[in-house]
Amino acid sequence: MLRYVLRRLGQIVITLFVFLTLVYFLLEAQPGDYAQTFLSNPKLTKEQREALKAQFGLDRPLWERYLRYMGSLLKGNLGISFEHYPRSVVSVIAERAPRTILLFLTAQILSFLLGFSAGKVLAWRRGQAFEYVLTIGGVTLYTVFTPWFGLMMIWIFAYILHLFPVGKFVTPTLWRGAPVDANYVFIRILLSAFVASLALFLVLLATRRLNLALRRGLRGAGVLIILAGLLAYWLPSGITRYALDILYHLILPVMTLTLINFAGMMLLTRNSMLETMREDFVMAARAKGLPDGVIRDKHVARNAMLPVITSFIFSIAFVLDGGVITETVFSWPGMGLTLLEAAVAQDIPMVMGGLVFTGTLALLGHLVADMTYAYLDPRIRYT
Amino acid sequence: MAESILKIENFTMHYMTKAGEVSAVDNVSLEIRKGESLGLVGESGCGKTSLAISIMKLLPENAVIKGGHIYFDGTDLVPLSEDEMRRFRWRRISMIFQAAMNSLNPVYRVSDQIIEAMETHFGNIDYSEAREKVANLFRLVGLDPKFMDQYPHEYSGGMRQRAVIAMALACEPDLIIADEPTTALDVIVQDNILRELKALQEKLGTTMIYISHDIAVIAEVSHRIGIMYAGKLVELADAEEIFHHPIHPYTAGLMSAFPSIIGPKRELVTIPGEPPDLLNPPSGCRFHPRCQYATEICREKEPEFKDYGSGHMASCWNPLEG
Ligand SMILES: Nc1ncnc2c1ncn2[C@@H]1O[C@H](COP(=O)(O)OP(=O)(O)O)[C@@H](O)[C@H]1O
Ligand SMILES: [Mg+2]
Repeated sequence: MLRYVLRRLGQIVITLFVFLTLVYFLLEAQPGDYAQTFLSNPKLTKEQREALKAQFGLDRPLWERYLRYMGSLLKGNLGISFEHYPRSVVSVIAERAPRTILLFLTAQILSFLLGFSAGKVLAWRRGQAFEYVLTIGGVTLYTVFTPWFGLMMIWIFAYILHLFPVGKFVTPTLWRGAPVDANYVFIRILLSAFVASLALFLVLLATRRLNLALRRGLRGAGVLIILAGLLAYWLPSGITRYALDILYHLILPVMTLTLINFAGMMLLTRNSMLETMREDFVMAARAKGLPDGVIRDKHVARNAMLPVITSFIFSIAFVLDGGVITETVFSWPGMGLTLLEAAVAQDIPMVMGGLVFTGTLALLGHLVADMTYAYLDPRIRYT
Repeated sequence: MAESILKIENFTMHYMTKAGEVSAVDNVSLEIRKGESLGLVGESGCGKTSLAISIMKLLPENAVIKGGHIYFDGTDLVPLSEDEMRRFRWRRISMIFQAAMNSLNPVYRVSDQIIEAMETHFGNIDYSEAREKVANLFRLVGLDPKFMDQYPHEYSGGMRQRAVIAMALACEPDLIIADEPTTALDVIVQDNILRELKALQEKLGTTMIYISHDIAVIAEVSHRIGIMYAGKLVELADAEEIFHHPIHPYTAGLMSAFPSIIGPKRELVTIPGEPPDLLNPPSGCRFHPRCQYATEICREKEPEFKDYGSGHMASCWNPLEG
């Protein structure tokens, strides 16, 4: 298992290296760059210009710049952003990435839960009216033009109904004089969610082989303790109102993304369920006298979930695809928006940094998908 | 004579298909006494599985019970709801499926799947006690308990088959239906498992229904044998009796199609033709198109299922003996 992970990590590093080299030379081959615009400022003297060029390292030949870039990349240094000068690319990513991760992870998990539950029910109770409503509704949303749908959601829920803010990720007036910055709160939210899910998973795992009554009791108690732990952390922290402000801003984009994405999961789950329902062990489960819900969830859905989980984790890895559009529509200053701005401004170090981040995320996502799959399906071994 | 545990009366079940109604089980009547083992024999497609899953009411959505009763220990199962049926399934009647090899869920440990059945019917059982019980079941069916926490894919075919048998015994049911339990296995394993099943059945006193297309296999393990053809029960008698004095030509045909273990060596002759399409079963006696003794009346009128003496039942216009 450990050897498998290490080997996969090695592969990931190599893949990443090839990917970055390609991207580096592709970007170099683009006509014009930020430095050009910057350096053609007529107010600068020739000497100043040369000095600046040297400062950015733009006077060196291409191969030397490439080697230098890769060298500092190894040290975790992605250079200085032109656009956000003098901030380093790493600090910009550290600031923007948590926002993107919170938004898309929440939306993806909700899409998965909604799509999976809906797909399960669709397969189990076929031929009823809601099957058509859900399928047609879901597919319509799935194929709708994302920016248009996002704007419609803003128009209806923010502009007409005034239920949610129009855009942005915080209420500036509230945060004036806040003891911490938004990033601090974002990271705390992400960490709490991670710790809580991990704890919940461990509780389920630890109570798996206990008597029915004890199992149910301990699981209930576990959930209560986790909730109490979350409250105990957040209530006295003094930043709960800021966290709530962020969550409030999160609702509309998350709702939009979930509505757009859940149908994919739903249809995938439905098909996988229908296929699994034909298996012999499902008939055996019925013969065992198990209740309908147990057969559906524990036997059919548990097996049907395997391909759905894979597709789900892949989709997480590629959030930045849709991220650019969604973040633009909701003026959500995350990685997608940053990447877009950097590309428009020809801020090469920032674009490179964004791609390093996306590439790493995608490859790690792939690894997590493989490991999850192997965990969920005992027939798969780490090889 | 022991009291009867299962009594099927004029039971008829059809499948609704786009092409029409398949009369898979037609007017079958049958009684099984406690502790008895009954063999059901017939070629593939004659409705054996359909009858078996009717007893457990595990019917697919397109199946319709057209009439009749299935009394299990005095209760008619036919009108019972799905929820009421659940109390009978596995606790009172369990089943070893035709596809026994795939009856285990690939993602759970074998022990957990057996405990699941016990938990469903016995409620809040002690986990370690349940494990002890699984270990005992494993020993009973000839499996080393050290394998109980493995996953089904780690088992060989024979082991899986034994595990499935252990699972069928888990709730100490009154009746076990074994539907071609060994067809997927190689001959030697088949033989061993059948012999062990028979020993288990005698030891535990469980009532059994064995289903097979191979009458020789069935003869080894059953007290009584029922012959099914095209959805109908065409002959029913003690195993010895049916072997030495078959009445229905179909029964005689089945016997000459398989090498006999009891009788003398003889040439194997298969019955010409195939079982009919049950969408449009033949008129009169359903076997008449393949029967070398068929006469006019066989084509026109269905023969009555009647007693030829000492409980030897058959439906034939031209019985071989009698
Ligand atoms: N779900 C079903 N729908 C329609 N026809 C079926 C279905 N299951 C079985 N049949 C038909 O019913 C008949 C009896 O099948 P079965 O009970 O499986 O026979 P056996 O077990 O003796 O081989 C066959 O003609 C088969 O094609
Ligand atoms: Mg069958």
